[in-house]
Amino acid sequence: MRRATWVTGALATLLAALWLRLDPRDLLAAKPDLLWDFITAAPRPALVDEATGEIFLPPLVLEAAWATVTFAAAGMGLAVLVAAPLTVLASTRFSGGGWTCTAVRTLIAGMRSVHELLWAILFLAAIGLTQASAVIAIAIPFAGTLAKVFSELLDEAPVEAANALQAGGASELQSLVFAVIPQAMPDLASYGLYRFECALRSSAVLGFFGFPTLGYALSSSADSAHFHELWTYLYALFLLVWIADRWSWAVRRRLVRA
Amino acid sequence: MTLDALYRERPRDWFLRGSALFAFGLVLLSLAVGDYALSDMWSPRAMRNLSRFLGEIQPTWTLAWWVETVPLVAVTNTVALAVAATGLATGAGAVLSLAAARTMATPEPWLPAGKPPSMIARRGWDIVVGSARFTLTVLRAIPEYVWAFLLVALLGTGAWPAVLALALHNAGILGKLFAETVEDVDSAAPRALRGLGGTRLQVFSGAVLPTVMNRWLLYVFVRWETCIREATVVGLLGVVSLGWFIGDARSRTHYDEMVALIGVGALLILAGDAMSIWLRAKLRNR
Repeated sequence: MRRATWVTGALATLLAALWLRLDPRDLLAAKPDLLWDFITAAPRPALVDEATGEIFLPPLVLEAAWATVTFAAAGMGLAVLVAAPLTVLASTRFSGGGWTCTAVRTLIAGMRSVHELLWAILFLAAIGLTQASAVIAIAIPFAGTLAKVFSELLDEAPVEAANALQAGGASELQSLVFAVIPQAMPDLASYGLYRFECALRSSAVLGFFGFPTLGYALSSSADSAHFHELWTYLYALFLLVWIADRWSWAVRRRLVRA
Repeated sequence: MTLDALYRERPRDWFLRGSALFAFGLVLLSLAVGDYALSDMWSPRAMRNLSRFLGEIQPTWTLAWWVETVPLVAVTNTVALAVAATGLATGAGAVLSLAAARTMATPEPWLPAGKPPSMIARRGWDIVVGSARFTLTVLRAIPEYVWAFLLVALLGTGAWPAVLALALHNAGILGKLFAETVEDVDSAAPRALRGLGGTRLQVFSGAVLPTVMNRWLLYVFVRWETCIREATVVGLLGVVSLGWFIGDARSRTHYDEMVALIGVGALLILAGDAMSIWLRAKLRNR
């Protein structure tokens, strides 16, 4: 089975490459001058706006980075709020797996199956460019993913403590709040933090659709071929994601130990 | 011991508490400072947009309309992009993971050597591990869409930038996950092979690869699910996948077609997820 899967995978990759007419020679025939300009700009990120010559590093980069963080955090906050009730309804343990459970799981799958960028496009078309639409575009698919994974984590949490509480007369809700959630907390928190990292990336990318995050800055620098500026924004994006990565790693390590 | 005493002796970690407080504060601050008053969504202008949008997506619901709106090539190209990218990412991730795994990339893999390795050998392997890990971090820190945007700018539109973009980001993720599984392998078998005089690669292929293969496959399928999602979206940059047709319908403001295409994309993702879950369940039972 395993070997068959690997061989099928390799064949499928080859087939897909042939279908897409991926020719390695096309890579070499690309635009060498442009590539050279882009690469040589890497060690010299711009500190001034290449169009106006104004000092731009602190104000513009920080503004874009801060917008990226706030969109991600607001989106995640909203997603957690929406995901909380859905999580309980979708977990086999608390909903008993009846028709509500099936309905909620279908809803969750629907929320997840549309990418946040496509949600953003839908909101742009339906409502227009408001900042709320970016936050909600992040919140919908993220709430779906959180609810799915959180409900699985609740179902996997050990049952003994919850059973003991219920045997002592606690209600389902009480056993959830006082036994199941505390026991699943390390896993819930680490997955939540991982999703925050993803939200940062998504929030940056939403900028390509006109929201004031790093993606907007990246696309406008690239469109005017200001490669030094482009690198400044790329470094900022990398730094942001890297900090989030280190933070969630430190938290996860302590959660596992505690 | 009383309950109070037990409560006072509960494990406390100031870093964790600080982190929780910080996360909570950041969310509140973001909701407060952002200019995203929800009332914007109910402003008269937004409502006019909404009613126009809803008017335009009254669909024509005929089979002929669907056949015309959703070209088959959009679906096949999206799947092909995801497959090719996952394949490339698996290969690149596997190679990088070997250099990033501390049990492999060391002067003494699994067993102490006869004589202690020289300072130069130690530092050399440290540099290998460090640069492999740094490469993986950079690859996965940059989102697929940004990779695709840069590559389209540098290589021109075509299938290559899309495939490479998905492959680069996922190679970063798979390489990290692969390296972790290699480091977690039970050391008995590799030690035995090493003791018999196996080279680094022989030990890897004989004792490590068979144990990690299943887990690697699970990771590959999980990333394949994400690749389908992203393959749809990178089309917006001019690569002919579903996203290209979505962007095209959007620029022509044919919103009924746009909504239909987004719906087809959602179905494709659900089908991909279902297939991957089924395969992973089969693999787990082996």
